[in-house]
Amino acid sequence: MRKGRIVFSLILIAVGAYAAYSATAWKFKAALFPLAVSIPLIILVTVQLLLEIFSKGETSDGPTMDLEFAADVPADVARRRAIGAFLWVASFILMVYLVGFPLAVPIFIFSYLCFQGRVGLPLSVTLTAVAWLFFYGLFQRTLHLPFEDGLIQTWLGM
Amino acid sequence: MFDAFIEGLFLVLQWKAFSLMMLGMALGFAVGLLPGIGGAATLALMLPFIFKMSPAEAFAFLLGMHAVAATTGDITSVLFGVPGEAISAATVVDGYPMAKRGEAGRALGAALMSSLLGAVIGAVALALAIPVVRPLVLTFGSPELFMLSVIGISCITSLSGLGARGQLKGFAMGLFGLLLSTIGQERQSGSLRFDMGMMYLWDGLDFVPVLVGIFAIPEIVDLAVRGTAIAGERKPENLKAGVIEGIKDTFRHFWLVFRCSAIGVFVGIMPGAGGGVAQWMAYAHAVQSAKDAKEREGFGKGDIRGVLGPGAANNSKEGGELIPTVAFGVPGSGAMAILLGGFLIMGIMPGPDMLTKHLAITFSMVWTLVIANIITVLLCLLVLDQLAKVTYIRGGLIIPFVLLLVFVGSYTANGQIADLIVTFIFGLLSYFMVLYGWPRPPFVLGFVLGKVIETYLFISVSRYGFAWLKHPIVMLLILVMILVIAYPFIQQRRRGPENPAHA
Repeated sequence: MRKGRIVFSLILIAVGAYAAYSATAWKFKAALFPLAVSIPLIILVTVQLLLEIFSKGETSDGPTMDLEFAADVPADVARRRAIGAFLWVASFILMVYLVGFPLAVPIFIFSYLCFQGRVGLPLSVTLTAVAWLFFYGLFQRTLHLPFEDGLIQTWLGM
Repeated sequence: MFDAFIEGLFLVLQWKAFSLMMLGMALGFAVGLLPGIGGAATLALMLPFIFKMSPAEAFAFLLGMHAVAATTGDITSVLFGVPGEAISAATVVDGYPMAKRGEAGRALGAALMSSLLGAVIGAVALALAIPVVRPLVLTFGSPELFMLSVIGISCITSLSGLGARGQLKGFAMGLFGLLLSTIGQERQSGSLRFDMGMMYLWDGLDFVPVLVGIFAIPEIVDLAVRGTAIAGERKPENLKAGVIEGIKDTFRHFWLVFRCSAIGVFVGIMPGAGGGVAQWMAYAHAVQSAKDAKEREGFGKGDIRGVLGPGAANNSKEGGELIPTVAFGVPGSGAMAILLGGFLIMGIMPGPDMLTKHLAITFSMVWTLVIANIITVLLCLLVLDQLAKVTYIRGGLIIPFVLLLVFVGSYTANGQIADLIVTFIFGLLSYFMVLYGWPRPPFVLGFVLGKVIETYLFISVSRYGFAWLKHPIVMLLILVMILVIAYPFIQQRRRGPENPAHA
């Protein structure tokens, strides 16, 4: 965890440094605000990093006013499940890119319910149909939101 | 004046105006529940439909729609940790942990009742303030508005973590949010900044994909990690009792709700600040109301005051935003700018006429805010039992549906796949922020306020050089900012070293 916190701080410093370095090449008007923000950012995160490196305990920080992840799941299980969840999210985006929203929605919902949610086939089919009807009825028919075709449809000229 | 007040009520209660208000409310209800589709965008979509309406009907329709979006936006914030509206993001911080603890009914009851009180207080402020607010608004120029925005960020950063290191992280995150807001074309010089050669970034990062990614994705991942329902494996709460408890909480903390409503009105009056600031300032104030460090530790983990404060402020600011819009034609937010378009379509010029010739219409707006919120809250309370039961459905069934809402909501920002990628990237960033204890609220506030702050800073420097720092109100606001930052330390010092771990 400590290693992760150090890496996260280093990434923030790198982003701040990149921003400050880029800003030096711009006109004064464009550079003023990014410089005024990135320099203190680098300083503050560097102080935090030094405190992190030289502090003794693992939990040297005070609690933050924010969400806290579940603590009752073993760390390795939590990591595995979190990676799995991010992969599902990424796969949804990939599906939308490949086949467009109208097809990606039923494919994703059915796959998730069946393979990840371990829901029985009849219920998966029913819930997928409900989700698709909701999507089609509200976003396509009622709100007329324009959804791009997927890459595959574009390739096939559909 | 009293005659106009009553006439305003009758204008709203006419069957056609009332029906249109109900229709607007139904639309606002749906929009509030759907992440990404904002109240302002819906106002813009509905603007062409008001051409054939009378002014009172048009404002009943538009304001009815706008007034309830903030209220129902809190529902998804509490139930799924996904802000239904950008202005409901602060409700996630304590509302969602309450739902996870099996107290969704209580959180929703509190959110709805505080929203109602906030809306009423905002409407009363609108009715009372128009004649007296003019000098205040005219006193605030760019330097003062810049300082006000900086105070907004200072409030939340100084309270987002406990102790000096918590503050340090809070400020760093606020600065990080400000930095990311500079992506895209700079308005004054036209220079492109951090666009990485991508046309998508020329307009900067859109709020919706960023906010949805920041708040929704870590919550969804956490739900997947726990492998349970949102409310865990607890037995379903007595929902009715929970809702009643939430309503009681609102009155138990009435003065907090009142003060947060006042914050909402004040921020609403200031052009450009908007609901994004009001909710977080109110949240910060709610945290400040904690008596000691132990009590304050409860914030972020399901303290009812963290739901009441933002709930009240994001509704009261509607009344506040209407004040400069109606009285001077200076819109307090994007949504009010669209409403201003409605005024012009109706052939009404905002300004002194609204206080004389069209006073009854001005009061009809006050009544619309009150009536629309009362009806919405009553309807919500009727279906709350069913809504809160959603938190007891296991995560495996809920997650794909929430993801569908999240990504369709993000996609509506620009209609590009890149919006989904932005949501994913910010979701990933947010996950690591939570994992490593970097607070998200200051980041979000910095990001939301970045463009406004930069514009005010630029105008202040161009017009006054650095002499703007000597303006009396600016100096006063700098003092307020120092007090805001120092307050947690002063509070800690007064108490003594009772909790050295957080020093």
